[in-house]
Amino acid sequence: MHIYKKIKKLLQGGVWALLLWPCLLTVSHPLDCKEEQGSISRCPTISQEKLLDRVIQHAEVIYRVSEESCTLFEEMFVPFPMRLQRNQAGYTCITKALPIPSSKSEIQQISDTWLLHSVLMLVQSWIEPLVYLQTTLDRYDDAPDLLLNKTKWVSEKLVSLEQGVVVLMKKMLDEGMLTTAYNEHGLVQYDVQPEMLESVLRDYMLLSCFKKDAHKMETFLKLLKCRQTDKYNCALY
Amino acid sequence: MRRAVGSVPLLLMLFFIGHAKETRYSPPGKPKLTSCRSPEKETFTCWWEPGSDGGLPTTYALYYRKENSDAVYECPDYHTAGENSCFFNKNDTSIWVNYNITVVATNALGSNFSDPVDVDVVYIVQPHTPENVTVTVMEDKDGPFLRVSWEPPRKADTRSGWITLIYELRVKLEGEEEWEEHRAGQQKMFNIFSLRSGGMYLVQVRCKPDHGFWSEWSSTTYIKVPDYFPRETSVWILIAVFSAFIFFILTWILNLKSNSVKHCLLPPVPGPKIKGFDKQLLKNGRSEEVFSALVVPGFPPTTSSDCEDLLVEYLEVYTPEEQELILEEGKDLQEGCLKSKGSPSDSDSGRGSCDSHTLLMEKCGEGEGKEEKHQERAQKGKRQQKHQTGWEEGDVSHTREDVLSPDMSEGRVKTWPSVFSPLPQYSSRPLDHQGSLETARQLCLSDSLFPPPSTSSHLSYNAKEGLALGSGQQEFYLGKKQTHPSNPQSQPRWHLQAHSDFNISSMDRKQAASGLQLPGFRSTEYVEVQRVNQEDMVILQPLFSSSCQRDGHLQIGQGEDYSKVKGVDSGNMLLLQREVEVKREEEDGDRYSCDIQDRVTESCYTTSTAASSQVTGKPTSCAGTAMPVQEEMVLAANGYVDAATMLL
Repeated sequence: MHIYKKIKKLLQGGVWALLLWPCLLTVSHPLDCKEEQGSISRCPTISQEKLLDRVIQHAEVIYRVSEESCTLFEEMFVPFPMRLQRNQAGYTCITKALPIPSSKSEIQQISDTWLLHSVLMLVQSWIEPLVYLQTTLDRYDDAPDLLLNKTKWVSEKLVSLEQGVVVLMKKMLDEGMLTTAYNEHGLVQYDVQPEMLESVLRDYMLLSCFKKDAHKMETFLKLLKCRQTDKYNCALY
Repeated sequence: MRRAVGSVPLLLMLFFIGHAKETRYSPPGKPKLTSCRSPEKETFTCWWEPGSDGGLPTTYALYYRKENSDAVYECPDYHTAGENSCFFNKNDTSIWVNYNITVVATNALGSNFSDPVDVDVVYIVQPHTPENVTVTVMEDKDGPFLRVSWEPPRKADTRSGWITLIYELRVKLEGEEEWEEHRAGQQKMFNIFSLRSGGMYLVQVRCKPDHGFWSEWSSTTYIKVPDYFPRETSVWILIAVFSAFIFFILTWILNLKSNSVKHCLLPPVPGPKIKGFDKQLLKNGRSEEVFSALVVPGFPPTTSSDCEDLLVEYLEVYTPEEQELILEEGKDLQEGCLKSKGSPSDSDSGRGSCDSHTLLMEKCGEGEGKEEKHQERAQKGKRQQKHQTGWEEGDVSHTREDVLSPDMSEGRVKTWPSVFSPLPQYSSRPLDHQGSLETARQLCLSDSLFPPPSTSSHLSYNAKEGLALGSGQQEFYLGKKQTHPSNPQSQPRWHLQAHSDFNISSMDRKQAASGLQLPGFRSTEYVEVQRVNQEDMVILQPLFSSSCQRDGHLQIGQGEDYSKVKGVDSGNMLLLQREVEVKREEEDGDRYSCDIQDRVTESCYTTSTAASSQVTGKPTSCAGTAMPVQEEMVLAANGYVDAATMLL
């Protein structure tokens, strides 16, 4: 059994490597270089396009992993009748309140700046809930290691995505780093341990919402890329 | 009037009710939303399935509610997408927003709500099929390949990155059942290799967003591959030719060496070498006869035998008178042996040695027969054949013991079997060259003066010693046998086996130690090698003149002691050494002849594998009288029978 677990972990590691190989590119170059005044920057400079590409890759992978996590969770914990109901007892996604465009026409009308801001907002608002999700998942008895690993990984990558977006904003928009002011909309902490089913449903909702938001991030960034490269064709539609 | 007007609806209602009662109208059945799809993530359509209409015209209405909003809206467009559908255009479509959709069926009698369905446009995207699928044949150094290219569906906005599509294509040969599927990722072009020359291929493409459903397969595109010669085939042909070539060479070699291969794989089955075993009888199926033939009467030995007997060496010599009898008839010989063996108290039977497998010696018919049998291969001479036939009968019926059982006397000296090697070995080796045995020839020395007991024991002892010395060496052993003078018919046989390597010294030693010293055996008779016949058999001849025992009462004044083997020379000649000790009996005529014989033998003691004529010629050359003697051979001159001559 010991060996079996080790092999399983190896396999998971392999799967992870396959999935996350683009991350190796981003990891090698820290996106956030702190420049001291007067000193020569030690960080290797990266072009805006490449940075944007990497950020997009990041977002793509995050979305894919979140989709897999959601599916895993659904198969593992959620009973059949409740699987496709998005509106559970008035549950809303935490990012509902954010002023994010929700239709293509809307998105096409907003500016680049606003696109980036939207992305940043989303990323920043999800960092903490994912950490919280980790703790709740650990409470489950038979949560598969794969699920736990994935959620863990996602929360880590989200942080690096945030960094990238910040740098990108700096480069593209010549703006200073925005403080994470959006986390205040954060999660409601439960002092009392909720019931199992409730907890499960809540976590399920959480994952679904995150999956959707990840997709949003990806889409926004891709649109942004199109705008960067070919302004006229992209805007036309 | 008003009353009339007012009564109309009442009448109508009555009418309808009456109708309803007759045709059983009912409220509509429950409609069901079957699917909602968005082709490009910008608009979407929902379809429903109406339930029973209850016999009345039923209207359907779709209502939706957006996520987290209580406002209920009705479907904006019922017609664009066809019947029982609702089309949401761009303005009404919100992405990443949950729609709660319900369909209501209404007829005059009532309405029915369907189950609500939650829809998020992002997850219901199913694009149209890819367009402009083109397949071309391209040439490469390895052969032709197919290049498939296509374009995304028109409405999907992949250019701006709004929607990311991944593609998949499938190929199959015309006539096959299984498609070969390939994932093409986000690229819009794909190469297919390893084509069958002259084949007709079918290609189809489809696409899917990274979060959604697969589109339908595009319409089939046909492409024909031109004929070409694949490189792989030529390599295979080369390999096939080469291996065929090697195969032919191997079979040819195998053919050449078929014999040795056969020997290697299927070693020849040795045939039965059992004395008295007759294959024919076995084939005839009469097992009783076969086995009866094998039965040797008198086995196992019933008569008592001493241990000493086993070690006794015998040199059997038989008297001339008996010789003819014995020689001519195998049976007689046997009998003779038997007779001569008459003494009941036969401590010297030497049966054991006879019995032992390693016994090479010949005893009467037994040794003879064995010899014959074993020597069949080695010596094939007419003489032998005759002799064999003559002996065979006797052989079959006599065992060694029989031969031995006519216990000549204690003084028998036998060649120790182990010295010479076991019979089969014996048969093969010595017979090959040294003419070790002469089947035909049996010499029996009679020894009159031999005090049996002492000598026998002596002999036995000596024999042992001799054996010890001689083991592993090929020794030529002459044994002496003493026959009772009273047993004229004793037929000692003396069997000489000569090997290529002689160890004279040991021989001498043996003799010395054994007290087989010739001097001590005044009475013994010695055998000299008279000649070697054609079959390389050493023909022995009793040596001393005094042993001209024609009459049987020879006194042995062994003048010459030829029992010593000097050695074997390179010409495979058995060299006997003569120790001269003159002591001759007086029998002039014989003596003379014996002397002459002696002389003759002296000078002609060397045996050779040369033609017997050489040997035979010797006596003639030596002495004239020897010739006639020669003719009769041993018979005449010294009473020894030269079996070879007999056979001649």
